[in-house]
Amino acid sequence: MPQEYAINYGAVVLAAIVGLMAVLFMFLTNYLLAPRRSSAIKGLPFECGVPAAPFTWSQINIRYYIFAILFLVFDVEAVFLFPWVIIYLKSAPIVFYEMLVFLAILLFGLLYGWKKGMLEWQ
Amino acid sequence: MPVVNLSLLLPEFLVAALAFAVFAADLFMRPRQRNVLSVVSAVGLVAIGVFTYWFLQGKSESLYNGVLKIDNYSLFFKVFFLAMGVMIVIASASFVKQYLSHPGEYYGILLFSVVGMMLMSGAGELLTAYISLELLSFSLYIMASYARDNPKSNEAGIKYVLLGALSSAILLYGISMIYGATGTTTFSDIAAALRNLDAVNPRLLIGMALVLAGLGFKLAAVPFHMWAPDVYEGAPLPVTAYIAIGSKVAAFALMLRLFGEAFLPAIDQWRMLVAILAALTMSVGNLVALAQTNMKRLLAYSSIAHVGYLLIGIAALSPMASTGLMFYLVGYSATNMLLFAAVIAFYNKEPRDDISALAGLADRSPFLAGAMAAALFSLSGLPFFAGFIVKFYLFSAATHEGLLWLAGLAIFNSLVSLYYYLMIIKQMYINQSPDKTPIRVSGGMAALVIALVIAVFVIGLYPAPFVDVIESATRTIFPATMMASY
Repeated sequence: MPQEYAINYGAVVLAAIVGLMAVLFMFLTNYLLAPRRSSAIKGLPFECGVPAAPFTWSQINIRYYIFAILFLVFDVEAVFLFPWVIIYLKSAPIVFYEMLVFLAILLFGLLYGWKKGMLEWQ
Repeated sequence: MPVVNLSLLLPEFLVAALAFAVFAADLFMRPRQRNVLSVVSAVGLVAIGVFTYWFLQGKSESLYNGVLKIDNYSLFFKVFFLAMGVMIVIASASFVKQYLSHPGEYYGILLFSVVGMMLMSGAGELLTAYISLELLSFSLYIMASYARDNPKSNEAGIKYVLLGALSSAILLYGISMIYGATGTTTFSDIAAALRNLDAVNPRLLIGMALVLAGLGFKLAAVPFHMWAPDVYEGAPLPVTAYIAIGSKVAAFALMLRLFGEAFLPAIDQWRMLVAILAALTMSVGNLVALAQTNMKRLLAYSSIAHVGYLLIGIAALSPMASTGLMFYLVGYSATNMLLFAAVIAFYNKEPRDDISALAGLADRSPFLAGAMAAALFSLSGLPFFAGFIVKFYLFSAATHEGLLWLAGLAIFNSLVSLYYYLMIIKQMYINQSPDKTPIRVSGGMAALVIALVIAVFVIGLYPAPFVDVIESATRTIFPATMMASY
């Protein structure tokens, strides 16, 4: 049992090391290759890619929230999909179809939003 | 892991499928056709109601080891909620057409909230109960702010969602405390843990108090009622009716099962707390209602007062009180639905919601004035109306459990409430209005109002069949030993 434990954690450690290396590699490549030209706009705090708003009370486009909600829906879907992937082969067939129903409901939501013009940015 | 017989959840699946069908139809219909969806929803709900009654009758099972229960109790409430959904859809039809946009989403969201209520009545576990409660609440947040161009409706939505989030947090904190103390969230295991404890530990007491407070917010029980008048006033009228009736009945369906199946062994610890909550709620609701000049705010305070009466059923928890409570829910829903239907029918012709707008209604529409008067007499608890007999059942159950002072206070409060209900009747029958144009009521609304007037009288004069059904529902949530003495 402890051995199995160690092997499982070995995988975690390995993933952590590889992940760390990958990030370091990316930063390093960036550091070596990127041109360096500073300008005023680059010094601003980063807010989702748009120029920072001058006032705290300025209006924010509702579409940010709609996209955020759509993103969240599929984010949560993934949370449910991971445990399902592990067990569905070993479980009764209904477990498989239940997830398909869940996905169909989410897909319906996406299509509904699409048809209602949620995905257009104007 | 055993495979669960999911076919027992067919009623919920069908309502959800109906909701999806309404959403899908909304996509492909031209805006003017979309009001047909009210007919689709109403007919669909009626069909599902009949099916549910036929399909679930006599079935008694619990799914996922007690997470969801299919029994007489949940059957009673499921049919109740479906019937309520039908009535709200009928009452909404011309209102939505006249004052609101996006009818497809309105009816779709309404149907989702019905699913939430149905699951609440069957939940046998705290987190399932919480999730179904949220399904109902989220739908209501959207519906409260449905009149998008009306700032008051927006205000109602914001207040409702903020207070709703707060109450959910309190409820969840209470659930986590109970889980910490007993190691389980299923109702029957909590009851078993409570029975085995020599002394109830403070953590468990705090947990139960927090759950009570969280549900108190949803019910608008004093001191957690601050949101109710503003939300009632701002929300579109049919939604106000839905919040005043649907959400209350659903919360009590959940609460009665929770307290009956889980917290009953510790009744000595929480009885006084609930009794005080009931006393405060009915007194504050009635006294503040005396000063209202806006119909919706008056109805808000009146419904707070009725929540106070209903909480007596929890404080005096016994099979008799449970029957009284469920019967009160039936009588209260029929009566309040009647009053709201009449007010909506009036509002559809004349969009004013101050009480003085009702002046001279007896001349302008004797039908609506008579229906409203019947509803108001019933709400105040006069004999021959539903309101009397349901109060009689509930209050006598309270005296049976030794809560004589609470029953006395409730009767005194009923007398106070008679005053402000009579003030409305005075407006309609004695005061005159310069405008004498008769008010015509549309066919669907007239049918709903007539059916509800009949219901209010039938419940008041011949309660036996209702009580029989309710007793069989009570039997499923109390242990057999308690039913023997009933």
